[in-house]
Amino acid sequence: MATDFEFRKQVMDYHVSSELIKYCYQCNRCTDNCPVSDVTIDFYSQGGYNPRSNILNALLGYKDAIFGADKLAIWGCTVCDTCDEVCPQHIELTEIFSFLKNVSTAKGNAPENIYAQAKAIFENAKAIPSQAAIERRRQQMGIPAVAAPDVNEIQTLFKNMGTDKKLK
Amino acid sequence: MTEYKMFEGCTIGNRIPFIEAASRKVFEKIGVETSQAPFSCCPDPTGMKSFDNDAWLAIGARNICLAEAEGKPIISLCNGCANTLRGVRHQLKHDNIKKDKINAQLAKIGKNFKGTVEIKHFVDVIKENLNKVQGAITKQLSDLKIACHPGCHYMRPAEWMESDDPLHPKNLKEIVAATGATVVDYGEESLCCGSAVSGAYPDYGDEILKKKLLSVSKAGADVICVNCPACFQQFDTKQKDLNKKFNTNFDIPVLYITEILALAMGISSEDIGLKFHRIRLKKEM
Repeated sequence: MATDFEFRKQVMDYHVSSELIKYCYQCNRCTDNCPVSDVTIDFYSQGGYNPRSNILNALLGYKDAIFGADKLAIWGCTVCDTCDEVCPQHIELTEIFSFLKNVSTAKGNAPENIYAQAKAIFENAKAIPSQAAIERRRQQMGIPAVAAPDVNEIQTLFKNMGTDKKLK
Repeated sequence: MTEYKMFEGCTIGNRIPFIEAASRKVFEKIGVETSQAPFSCCPDPTGMKSFDNDAWLAIGARNICLAEAEGKPIISLCNGCANTLRGVRHQLKHDNIKKDKINAQLAKIGKNFKGTVEIKHFVDVIKENLNKVQGAITKQLSDLKIACHPGCHYMRPAEWMESDDPLHPKNLKEIVAATGATVVDYGEESLCCGSAVSGAYPDYGDEILKKKLLSVSKAGADVICVNCPACFQQFDTKQKDLNKKFNTNFDIPVLYITEILALAMGISSEDIGLKFHRIRLKKEM
């Protein structure tokens, strides 16, 4: 397994506090408390989604171990932020996992629902676009119509940041 | 009186607006004033943030700018939106390089993020007004046993949500208790509902939800109380599917905290559209 020093630096620099990852001593509290690990890892700690392994691989710069594995290694995270709260070293694990997901997305390897939502936001400025039936229901219930967002502004942000190129 | 900018979010606004109707009625009863703004998607802290953190920051910061232009705080009806808006502000507040980068993008659409307005989850606003809530209650819900599920993003990460204990939340329970209902404790209170992982891995989401519902059933709850539309949909729409898949018999009604409060304040179930729930409330209130 080769260390990718550039990748390791990206992890450390991702947030103001992400260098805290170097204090990880692999105690496994994250995985012990992870709801997805609970339903995917067997008694012998084999397989499944494992936040502790992700932190170890990110810390060591083992880029291939993370991105070469089954998608579950990254995308099994349900973003519940429980690991962040139980980590004795105050590592913001979920933020680091967010970075791993961003890299996976840029490679075109994210799950389809992730691309679909980003596309909906690009096209409508909303993850769930407005529908005539719901608009009628709002009216019947006596609540005002949703204030329509400026789609052009959202598309300008996407295009100027190159985010549109990551869409599928 | 503070006027809040209403951030109903995509799911409540464009899919389950009956929750917004109940919330607006409760706000009216306790004197919480709101007005609208043309907010976009927050965007989703489990979806868009995973897609591209920088774009998530820019779109989120743009939303905050709309409230800043009026100098008014934001009230969010959704855990995800509150988590995004507070998370965006947190990242930009603690990282000047990121803030300059995002502001350079916002400048091209005529905006500038300062981070000056307050961003509140509606549960915190209700809790601050608990006296007024108690004053508006006309009907004690004493024969209801309610299990509370505040949901992950209401209180985690504590670092930037600053709302409740991240693993032993109590705010929602206090509000429910004010209606006279019995709050039932259960073992898996801080467990995720499984919604976010369901997009890519529905089977794992189902397993987590099953674990959660078994714990709620064991505690003998009549109702699950939530304050997040993603959790609401997960609980309300998936119990039937789980029953088929796992041969269980879950049939627990799910109510938003503002729906419970509306009923306790004497507002009729018709006025708040309870009929749009998949699982109907069994007990007459």
